[in-house]
Amino acid sequence: MIQYAAIVLFVLGLYGLVINRNLIKMIVSLNVMEIGLNLFIISIGFVYDGVAPIITSTNTVGAVLFVDPLPQALVLTAIVIGVGTTALALAIAKGFYTRYNTYDLSKAEEDL
Amino acid sequence: MSAVLLIAIPLLAAFLSILSKKIAPYLLLAAALFNLVIMFFLPEGFVVIGGFIEPLGINLLFDTYAKIALFLVDGLILVITILNLKAYGKFATVLLLALASLNGLVLTNDLFNLFVFLEIAGIASYLISSSNRKPGHTFHYLVLGAVGSSLYLFGLIILYAMFGTLNMVDLIDKIILNGNYGNLVLPFVLMFIGLGVEAKLLPFNSWVKGVLGKSNTMSGPMIASVYAGAIAFAFGRLINNLFQFQGTLLTVVLVILFLGIVLGEAMAFAATKVRELLLFSDVAQASIIALLFVNGIVIWAVYLIIANAISKLVMFLVINKAAHDTGTDDMNDLQGLFSKNILVGITFTVVALSIIGMPLFAGFVIKLSFLSQLAQSGQIAAIAIILLASLVEGIYFVRLLVKLWYKGDKEVSVNYNLSFKVVFIIVALGLLVFGTYRAPLDKLDNSIDTVAEVINNG
Amino acid sequence: MKLKNLLALFVALLLSLSIILALSNNTLFPSFGNVDLNDRVSGEYLDQTNIDDVGAANIVTAIVVAYRGFDTLGEVTVLFVSALGVALLLGSSAKQKRLELDFKPNFMLRVGSRALFGIILLVGLYIILHGHLTPGGGFPGGTMIASAILLLYLADDRFRAKIKGFKILEGVAGSLYVIIGLLGLLLATYFLQNFLPSGTLGDLLSAGIIPIIYILIGLKVGSEISGIIDNFLTEEESA
Repeated sequence: MIQYAAIVLFVLGLYGLVINRNLIKMIVSLNVMEIGLNLFIISIGFVYDGVAPIITSTNTVGAVLFVDPLPQALVLTAIVIGVGTTALALAIAKGFYTRYNTYDLSKAEEDL
Repeated sequence: MSAVLLIAIPLLAAFLSILSKKIAPYLLLAAALFNLVIMFFLPEGFVVIGGFIEPLGINLLFDTYAKIALFLVDGLILVITILNLKAYGKFATVLLLALASLNGLVLTNDLFNLFVFLEIAGIASYLISSSNRKPGHTFHYLVLGAVGSSLYLFGLIILYAMFGTLNMVDLIDKIILNGNYGNLVLPFVLMFIGLGVEAKLLPFNSWVKGVLGKSNTMSGPMIASVYAGAIAFAFGRLINNLFQFQGTLLTVVLVILFLGIVLGEAMAFAATKVRELLLFSDVAQASIIALLFVNGIVIWAVYLIIANAISKLVMFLVINKAAHDTGTDDMNDLQGLFSKNILVGITFTVVALSIIGMPLFAGFVIKLSFLSQLAQSGQIAAIAIILLASLVEGIYFVRLLVKLWYKGDKEVSVNYNLSFKVVFIIVALGLLVFGTYRAPLDKLDNSIDTVAEVINNG
Repeated sequence: MKLKNLLALFVALLLSLSIILALSNNTLFPSFGNVDLNDRVSGEYLDQTNIDDVGAANIVTAIVVAYRGFDTLGEVTVLFVSALGVALLLGSSAKQKRLELDFKPNFMLRVGSRALFGIILLVGLYIILHGHLTPGGGFPGGTMIASAILLLYLADDRFRAKIKGFKILEGVAGSLYVIIGLLGLLLATYFLQNFLPSGTLGDLLSAGIIPIIYILIGLKVGSEISGIIDNFLTEEESA
C-alpha cells in the first residue's frame, strides 16, 4: 500500500544520509527522504471514491465526495521548503568543493 | 494594533532591505527597536489571522509567557546588531528574517505554522553559521536541521490524521477527550526528536561542536543565546501543554535528558578550548531547562532560560573577540587575558559564578528555587544529577577563571570596545541585583503560560 | 556491500517496520481511504457557505491563500531566504561572467530555444492567473517561468538575464504581499483578511485578493529561482 511505500522511502532516505559521505549523495538522500514524507502526507488525505476538491458545474458540494484538501495544501508548502533547503545545500557544497577540491566530507581538513 | 505586527514589520523590512545594501543594517536596527517598543502597547490574548476563527484559520497567542520570551529575543538581537554593525553588515537581511521567524515561533498557536517558522529560523541560522567560513560544519548542521524538521512534520501529520485539527488548543482539547496515551507515543517521540535537534539535546546535537566551536562575535551569540532561548521557549510550551509525558515515554525522555546533563558537563570538563567548554555547558543547560519543563516547573525554567541566554551572550562575546584577535581559543594560550582587561574579567567572573550557582548571584536564586520545587515533587534522581553537574561545573569554571586571570609566559592583549564593555556591565549588574533582591522574581508563577487556563475554561 | 552498510540497511528496514506496526495498532489513525471528512476541519472548508464566502472554486487554493495564508507568507519567506543564502555564498561584488562548460551549444539550439521560451512563459502565466479555478497557482507557474529562463541559460552559453531587475522584482513583490496583509489589518480588522468582493464562483475575476496574491507569488518565485540559477552558472571574471 502506498502509505507503507512512503514510510519505507522515508527511512531509506535516512539510511542514505547515514552511510554516505559524499556531499552530493547526501543531498540526493535528503530529497528522497522528503519525497517519502510528502507522499505520506498526501496519502493521509485520500478518501475512497473521492474526486479532486474543485467546484465545477457537475461537482458541487452535495453531489460528490471530495478528497481532503488540507494535506495537499501542507504538501505544497513542504515541497517549496524542500526546494529552498536543497538549493542552499548545493551552494554550500559548491563552496566546499572550491575550498577543499573534493566532495567527500571525511577528507576535509576540518575536525568534524 | 495587533501582535501580528511583531512578525509582519520585520518581514516587510527584510523584503525591502535587499533593494539597497547600504540602508539594510539601519532597517534591522529600526525593526528590532520597533518590536521592543510596540510590545508595551499590544493587548494580550489570541490574535486571529485572516478573519477565519480557529480551527479554520491560524491564530497567535500573546500572553505573559510570550511577552517575556519576545522581550528577551528582540532585546538580544538588538544588542548583537549594535555590536556587530560594522563587521557583519551584509548579514542584515538574514538577521531581520531571524528576528521575524523567532518571534513567529514563540507566538504561534498552530502546529504547522510552527513548522514553517522553524524552517525559516533554521535556514537563517545555517546562513549565520556560514559566516564562520567552515562549509563542512554548516553542511552537517543543515542536514541535521532538515532531518529534524522532517521528523517533526511526520509526527504532526500523524496527529492530524488522528484528530483532524492543526490548532494547538483545539488539539489538546481533543486529546483530553480521547484518553488513550499509547496511541500518542509515536507522534510525540517524532516531534520531540525533531525539536530536540535544534534545542541541542543529546544525542542529536553533533552539529553544536562544529558550528559554535569555530564561531565569531555574531554567530556565536546568535546561535548560543538567541536561538537557544527562542527554541527553548517554544519547546517548553509544547512540552508543558501538548506532550504531557507519561509512563514509559516519560522514563525514556528523562533518561535522554539525564544523559544530556551528565555527558554535557563531562565533555565540558574535558575540553581544552574555551569555546568547546562553553558550548558543552550550553548543551547541559538546555537539557536542564527541558527537564524543568517536563516536571511542570514553568516559571523557574523561564528564569533559567533568561539567565542562561544573557550569560552565554557575555561569555561568547568575550571569548570570540579574544579568539578573533589572537587567533586561538586554547585555554593555555589565553592565559592572563584578564590581567590587562580588568573590567571585562570582573564581569566574566560574575557571569561564570552565576552559572555555577554561587550565592549573591541570580543563578543561585534560580537554582535553589527549582531544586526545592523538584524536591517537593519527589524527583530525587533529578536533584542528585543536577547537584553532581553543578559540582563538575564549579570545578571547570573555576579552573578556567584561574587560567584566564593569572599570566602565563605569553603576552595576551585583546582590545574590547566601549560598547562591548557597556553590555557586559549591564548583564553583570542585572545578575547581581536579582541575586540579592528576589522579590520581583517571585511575583510571577507557573500561570504565565495561559494555554492550560484556556483549555480548562473550555 | 560492506558489513557496516548492510547492518545500517537492516536497522533502517526494522525501523520502517516498527513505524508501520505502530501506525496500524493506533486505534485513532484511520486506514488508507476510510476517512470521514466531517471529523476533520476539512468538513468546514467544503461547506457551501464558506465556499461562497471565499469565492474560489479550487478549495486547495482557498486553503493555501485564504484560510492558511500566513503559512504561505512563511513559505515565500523560506524561498526568499534560500535565494538570499545562495547569493551570499556564491555571489560576489566583482564582475561576473558565465561559467565555462565543456558543451558548446550550436546555432539551431540557440534559436529554437527562444521560440520555446515564449510558449513556456505563456503556459506559466496561464497557470498563475487561473490558480483559483484550476489546479496550479503561483508556485508551479512561477517555477515554469524560471524553467523557461533556465532553458535560455542552457541553450546559449553567452546568455545572462538582467539580475538587477529580478532582485528589484523580488523585493517589491514580497513587500506588496505583506502590504496587502497590512491593508487587511487597516481596512478590515485582521491581517490578510479579504477586503475585495468575492464575485461569482467560477469567474476569472473572483475570489477577492486571491488572484492578486497568486500573481505576486508567481513573480516572486520566478525571479528568485532565476536568481539561484544565475548564481550557480556564473563565476568571477578573472581579470
